[in-house]
Amino acid sequence: MNAPWNRRAARHAQRLARVAHLAAGREIAAGKLIDVLEAVIEPGDRVCLEGNNQKQADFLAESLAECSPERLHDLHMVQSVLALPSHIDVFERGIASRLDFSFAGPQATRLAKLVQARRIDIGAIHTYLELFGRYFVDLTPDVCLIAAQAADADGNLYLGPNTEDTPAIVEATAFSHGIVIAQVNERVERLPRVDIPADWSDLFVVAPRPNHIEPLFTRDPALITDIQVLMAMMAIKGIYAEYGVQRLNHGIGFDTAAIELLLPTYAESLGLRGRICKHWALNPHPTLIPAIEAGFVESVHSFGSEVGMENYVAARSDVFFTGRDGSMRSNRAFCQTAGLYACDMFIGSTLQIDLAGNSSTATLGRIAGFGGAPNMGSDARGRRHASPAWLRAGRERAGDGPLTHGRKLVVQTVETFREHMAPAFVEQLDAWQLMEDMGMELPPIMIHGDDVSHIVTEEGIANLLLCRSAAEREQAIRGVAGYTPVGRARDARMVENLRDRGVIRRPDDIGINTRDATRDLLAARNIKDLVRASGGLYDPPRRFRNW
Amino acid sequence: MSAHAITRRSWFEADARTRIHGLVDAGSFSELCGPHERLTSPHLAVLDLPVAFDDGVVVGEATLDGERILVGAQQGEFNGGSVGEIHGAKLRGLLDRARDTRPAAVLLAIDSGGVRLHEANAGLIAISELMRALLGARAAGVPVYGLIGGSCGAFGGMGIVARLCDGLIMSEEGRLGLSGPEVIETVKGVDEFDSKDRALVWRITGGKIRRTLGEATLLVDDDLGAFRGGAKALLARGAPLRGLAALDADQAALAARAQRHADARDGLDIWRALGLPDAERLAMLDADAFNRIIDRAETA
Repeated sequence: MNAPWNRRAARHAQRLARVAHLAAGREIAAGKLIDVLEAVIEPGDRVCLEGNNQKQADFLAESLAECSPERLHDLHMVQSVLALPSHIDVFERGIASRLDFSFAGPQATRLAKLVQARRIDIGAIHTYLELFGRYFVDLTPDVCLIAAQAADADGNLYLGPNTEDTPAIVEATAFSHGIVIAQVNERVERLPRVDIPADWSDLFVVAPRPNHIEPLFTRDPALITDIQVLMAMMAIKGIYAEYGVQRLNHGIGFDTAAIELLLPTYAESLGLRGRICKHWALNPHPTLIPAIEAGFVESVHSFGSEVGMENYVAARSDVFFTGRDGSMRSNRAFCQTAGLYACDMFIGSTLQIDLAGNSSTATLGRIAGFGGAPNMGSDARGRRHASPAWLRAGRERAGDGPLTHGRKLVVQTVETFREHMAPAFVEQLDAWQLMEDMGMELPPIMIHGDDVSHIVTEEGIANLLLCRSAAEREQAIRGVAGYTPVGRARDARMVENLRDRGVIRRPDDIGINTRDATRDLLAARNIKDLVRASGGLYDPPRRFRNW
Repeated sequence: MSAHAITRRSWFEADARTRIHGLVDAGSFSELCGPHERLTSPHLAVLDLPVAFDDGVVVGEATLDGERILVGAQQGEFNGGSVGEIHGAKLRGLLDRARDTRPAAVLLAIDSGGVRLHEANAGLIAISELMRALLGARAAGVPVYGLIGGSCGAFGGMGIVARLCDGLIMSEEGRLGLSGPEVIETVKGVDEFDSKDRALVWRITGGKIRRTLGEATLLVDDDLGAFRGGAKALLARGAPLRGLAALDADQAALAARAQRHADARDGLDIWRALGLPDAERLAMLDADAFNRIIDRAETA
């Protein structure tokens, strides 16, 4: 009675047997990779290609895209990020036909074209945690193609600082008897540490060049504007200080980079060191260096790493999670969980906000997806432990009613006008039009209005927790929307009333003189200042240097 | 609150008036031909381009440590600090005034790519008049000092003006040259000079290599107070007119330098040829640490 219940294990053995003659033990020669992929993968397989936010299994992706569509077709790709041209090539060449994913930033336009040409069948667009969850439920990979830093002769893998999605992918694949193939940058005698034990993986190939890693989280302080400094001051004084936010996540962008760079200067002058921003779920942002050096930060757990931060992170092992070997250990699944359940605040920017507070980064003609922001930027209804910030936000939400649960702070920080004078506040999100164009079931909303607690603009802070009706909410949003059409259509009397109640607060109301908001407050004004602040440990990528 | 939160005020990021106010004694600056007089460029108006009420340059009188000085500052954000007819006339007038009234010095905060191309010959004439007036002030015994640390640097005609000064104060962010990197790349090709390679551009034109080669008298940090300190130091040092023998010696030294570094393609080559320790690390040093190394090399 063995056979019917262990078919996956039997298939695993059969697949490996088909490629035994192509490999030397665990190792595949780079020149044989396409033959191996064509032999080990079967038409219709669900394949997880490791495309992360930063780290890319680029050699495996390019090789898969070069396989014969006669041999490999109708693959169902499951992967968190479509970042490389080869990620789309596999669909254009007819190798894959179905896709479940999270984020497609750099390939968003090509993806949209494929959808409109009906060349691709999108199962769903997920958040990271959702997709990882489905790896263990109904999107379990038959084969995964991952990226690691190094392998030893036995097939143990070292992932380097950019662990990212790899543990989640391998766990789901290996323990459901799928095939795990890794590309590595080097084969070594002895690994600095073992991140993936040999018996969780099957084959590896030494790639002809190191895997691609994108420095996504580096923001040059030179490009931060005085307006962003003003908004950062408002956020620090009007939200961080008032709620005593100790545990948080920051989005990527210049708005939040400005906040990071004001911690050792402005926040310090307000006496906030030790009272805010102690624990972070955050990639190692170079702009966090001055705050770390100033003693603001106790711990940082990261989704991935950041190019150039390796030595700094290793030298600050009290703050960052590092292995016994000294180098960084990141983990996207755990860090997303931390951001969802263990943080009291998310703050980030967006492209459009509507009158209900829904926000979206969708633009017409592009399918960009979600990534992790909705996990961070949502109130976790499953949370039970209390903290002062969470309780205070919950009390504001509950009003006079009984307090049964707290509330996460979800803050959107936007200038009223974005590039090319495009208003950030709109009557209707472009996401609705995109839904029509792409035949989606729902508009791609990044953060739902009912999850948003505050909106910060250069005109003021709107506290949506204190709004008691949809009409108040709308006026609170219009009341900080500046000279955009949405802002000009405000009911001035109602907005003044909301200001009297503290629902809307202007810089003056919280004791901020807008003339004080200059770049001179930034703890670092350029990349070189960051290198200096790190004591020379931060080694920025070439494109960010002028030396 | 902000007073103690701010540690440095950047010269690079300041506009022309902020630079002047950071440079001179508090409250001592009085502007000449200020914006209220609306001396705007007639040439830009003809081309239907935006004009500025000061034509991108601020000039006036002030004191520095109690001594009367004249001061001019270019606004790099207006047409790249370029010298048009009005802009040039204001600077020329300032230098003529120095010749006539003998202040302790003239300080020129240079931030310019050179002649304003829209104004063609009028701009060229303006900059040549400016050069003549500068030499006139110096001949009358008034030292003229240039300060370079803005985003446009000192290029083209203003690069020449800078080198006509008695002394130059630069920050490492400042750049000094004749043809700008983009111009060289356009004319000679990317193999000659890759203007997109920011590190290379700074290693060839930036304040640190200019200080190394002796073209900048002082290297200071990117800070208003540091530039003020540098200006005070130059004022105290004085600039007596130098005779023909000294000029001949300069000429000989330049010829020897050109020969010594004939094969240099990069500031790094020069630092290495001079035997400076850790040449690759020099770019990271602050002004004081860098100056110590250069001073040591010069005395050696």
